[in-house]
Amino acid sequence: MLLEINDLTLLYGRIQALHGISLHVDEGEVVALIGANGAGKTTTMRAISGLRPVASGSIVFDGTDVTRMRADLRVVRGIGQAPEGRGVFPGMTVVENLEMGAYTRKDRSGVAEDMKMVMDLFPRLHERRKQAGGTLSGGEQQMLAVGRALMARPKLLLLDEPSMGLAPMLIQQIFEIITRINEQGTTILLVEQNAQQALSRAHRGYVLETGRIVKEGTGRDLLHDPAVKEAYLGVA
Amino acid sequence: MTATVDKKRTAGFRSRWAAMPKQVRWAAIAALIVLLYILPNKWFYEYLGFPIGSDYFAFYTTRSDFAGVLFDTAVFVLLAVGLNVVVGFAGLLDLGYFGFYALGAYTVALLTSPESRFGTNWPWLAAVPLAVMVAMVSGVILGGPTLRLRGDYLAIVTLGFAEMIRLYAARNEGVLQGQRGIPAIPHPPGTGSDGKPLFGVVDARPYYWLMLTLILIVLLLVRNLANSRVGRAWVAIREDEDAAEIMGVPTFKYKLWAFAIGAAVAGLTGAVFAGKQTFINSDQFVLESSILVLAAVILGGAGNIKGAIVGGAVTWYLPEWLRGIGDLLGVEFDAAEYRILVFGLVVIVMMIFRPQGLVPNRRRAAEFADRRKEAVPQETVPNE
Repeated sequence: MLLEINDLTLLYGRIQALHGISLHVDEGEVVALIGANGAGKTTTMRAISGLRPVASGSIVFDGTDVTRMRADLRVVRGIGQAPEGRGVFPGMTVVENLEMGAYTRKDRSGVAEDMKMVMDLFPRLHERRKQAGGTLSGGEQQMLAVGRALMARPKLLLLDEPSMGLAPMLIQQIFEIITRINEQGTTILLVEQNAQQALSRAHRGYVLETGRIVKEGTGRDLLHDPAVKEAYLGVA
Repeated sequence: MTATVDKKRTAGFRSRWAAMPKQVRWAAIAALIVLLYILPNKWFYEYLGFPIGSDYFAFYTTRSDFAGVLFDTAVFVLLAVGLNVVVGFAGLLDLGYFGFYALGAYTVALLTSPESRFGTNWPWLAAVPLAVMVAMVSGVILGGPTLRLRGDYLAIVTLGFAEMIRLYAARNEGVLQGQRGIPAIPHPPGTGSDGKPLFGVVDARPYYWLMLTLILIVLLLVRNLANSRVGRAWVAIREDEDAAEIMGVPTFKYKLWAFAIGAAVAGLTGAVFAGKQTFINSDQFVLESSILVLAAVILGGAGNIKGAIVGGAVTWYLPEWLRGIGDLLGVEFDAAEYRILVFGLVVIVMMIFRPQGLVPNRRRAAEFADRRKEAVPQETVPNE
């Protein structure tokens, strides 16, 4: 088991955002976390990457308890994240953004290799390599955020709403790339509002509602679950 | 419109400058440095044929001692260069920068002055490293708890810190000797070729040269830092702290470094200032000065070392230069008195029309452009 979360609770001031979440991600999997706005998807991601301190429970990554570990040290352990709203560095060029992704790495040749790999994965980024991150379109920024996270060569890639604000054709494209990244050996935990796409691409999925996990199962099972269909897939 | 034309022009200068052979660039920089060193000499103006003391539009000041003005300007430039590390590089709003300057000056005064109740009577030079250390350590103490937090806490805490230092110095009748201050601070060491001390009371030129030399040293250090891994971490923190953290940047550590380095530079500046002034009291460390240094950094272009230099020089030198303008117009008017008012307005105007400053940093300009875009109402509301 690559990631194991046990009974995690998290508070925003006095408001409880997560009420005891337990989930796990196995090596090589794509796991989708779906739910409505405010269900706690992004909060869960931020807890895993270390951007929000947790109130109780535990996060075990790759055999190490990282519950109280600093965010930057979790990156070194192998947790990479493309944050919600993309979090691209607006003043840095595409190449500089990607180099930031490899900030913790010392192997120059490996970094150069991965830079080429990311550019191959997203030819658009190669075209814009000298352009400032802030001047890219939404879709390009999303690609940059994903590419930048890959530059750390993470064991686990956290993707927070990769399809948010993208045109339907780009959504299709970004999900194809996610599948390809996974096939190349990166484990992925995916947060999505686009449940249809996420569940059809994921091995397993969890449904989050107001800070609790209400359902879990294989991607296919959830996709055909009547309750999930009604709530998230827009079909009765 | 004007902004784009302007951008083209500066970009043009930059690319032309970058396209020049390395030797030419080095020669130009060397010539500029030499010019800065000969600037306070009277013979230089006589040689150029400026009638000293009559022409208000010559670039030396006539109302006050020109070398003294240059020294004060250099003090300001060094402060701006130091604050630029904090505000410009790491994006931390420090409103009490003069507090560290005061700490440096008081440390030197207390350790060296025969009038000090410490009674240590150290030579000036021995006290300088300690002054730098004191400023740096207090930066760490102040930054330790506050830099862990996001948002405006740092601005408020630093603002309070600078005022506390000043008020304490004013009220403390014991060691700090209240408003009376600490006199008889020794000058820097050295003997001139004529056998007289190099650093005296009358001639401000040696102090200016000392300050200029320190500026050049600090510049080299800061430039190397900015181009290093540390510098890249600062840019990342400034642009998006969360994103920096998930790239593996130990954000707190680097913020603390920026803050401490800035404080150390201020402490050094204060130590030199005390050595020239020979007398300090709390009146020399008012809050307006902190704000003025900040205005200098913003005016010049935060995040750009050249910008900090230009900003610092303009903010101090220009009002001094304009002191004579009232006489010229035949009215009782001292431009330097309106410094705070004018630069307050200038900063507001700059924030509206050119937030990236006079000499912008390429990245900073893009960041501001990005922020403007964000100010437009968004259709997607981030969840949670």
